[in-house]
Amino acid sequence: MTNIDCDYLVDYLNGTLTAEENQQFEQHLTTCTECQEIVEATGQLPYLADPVEPPTDMKARILSNVFDETVEQNDQPKALKPAMSPIPIHKKRRKENVWKPLLAAVLLMSLLGNGYAFYQLSDQPAGTETAIQSIELQPNEAFTGTATAAMIEEEGLLNLVVQADRLAELEASQVYQVWLIKDGKPIPAGAFSPNPNGEGASYYQLETTSEEWDTIAITLEPKTGNELPEGQIVLSSEI
Amino acid sequence: MEKSTDTSLYLRVNKQDKDALEELYDRYEKILFSFLYKMLEDKGLAEEALQEVFIKIWRGKGVYDESKGKFSSWLFRMAQNTAIDLIRKRKKPTVPIEEASQMVSNDEPVEEQVVWQEKKTQIEMAVQHLSAEQQKMIDLFYFKGHTHETIADMCDIPLGTVKSRIRLALKKLKTSLHGMQERGAYDD
Ligand SMILES: [Zn+2]
Repeated sequence: MTNIDCDYLVDYLNGTLTAEENQQFEQHLTTCTECQEIVEATGQLPYLADPVEPPTDMKARILSNVFDETVEQNDQPKALKPAMSPIPIHKKRRKENVWKPLLAAVLLMSLLGNGYAFYQLSDQPAGTETAIQSIELQPNEAFTGTATAAMIEEEGLLNLVVQADRLAELEASQVYQVWLIKDGKPIPAGAFSPNPNGEGASYYQLETTSEEWDTIAITLEPKTGNELPEGQIVLSSEI
Repeated sequence: MEKSTDTSLYLRVNKQDKDALEELYDRYEKILFSFLYKMLEDKGLAEEALQEVFIKIWRGKGVYDESKGKFSSWLFRMAQNTAIDLIRKRKKPTVPIEEASQMVSNDEPVEEQVVWQEKKTQIEMAVQHLSAEQQKMIDLFYFKGHTHETIADMCDIPLGTVKSRIRLALKKLKTSLHGMQERGAYDD
């Protein structure tokens, strides 16, 4: 050891330095090759881990929590707010295969102008299993809008396309938020704002199947990015 | 399409670019989850730690720049520190080894897994160059997140020398890793 600062190395790796000491050590790192190389070598240790398959729905959970700036504690999956349930649901469901995959892809592109979504669906080997389920969402009392959801399953991914019309204008910060719900626990699954014609659409992709969800709902949220619903359910259906 | 570097993705994340964060997430999800699972021995806790890591990145807690070395080393250190916090905060049930091994993926190796496997082999060989005591030291310090006091007890060495022993172990790891990477260069 050539420098008293080298003493900090182990505590630095351990994350036990104060912010000030940390900064001081990082300064030291720029001048001390040996500490630098030890830090890099330590950075290889995680590769000792045996590969473990992450849960399929973890990504959706984590990203929605990360992007929700208002949530400070993300420890537990939270249940739907008591005020939100029971959800008024009028069951009306159709399972059909009227949409051909190409049509679905074109629909996606026209909805979103999103090349990525288009390639996701179209750039598939022929014969890929595609399951499409179309769901009509039922409006809550006093809500005039209508919406249709298409759940398109391809290669273990669930593409959720929601198309709505006759929507009322929103205030700038408000947004229509789509939720997929299982046993009263919602996850955000896309959001949209109406265009001047009162039409809106969203597209969302998850690593799940439609069987994993029992309800789809749209709420009117006071702001974007909510991890849990704050607003009223305006449209919903069983899946 | 040109693949973005980690650093350029990180810079976009700093500007609250969600796509960039998602891409970083995709790149590191599996190695981080596996690493955190190795440390925490619990899938729920591993997910909690992983989420914490990405919240820190998204909110700009902990700043990376290239003077701090490789992005992956920085990210892994943050993950390791986060896991240690969790370990120290709560008592966790220990998962039997059988259960742990069942969770190992049997997927066909894809490119990313091949790279991982190469690095794994390399670091495993480097670890094998260490004495049994040094290996134990790194495991207790790095993966188990034990305090110096516990390590002093478990390895039966004076508390005052724990830090320098850990440093020595890591230094030796570095040296053998370098040696191997240089030899590896001839193989290519
Ligand atoms: Zn140094």
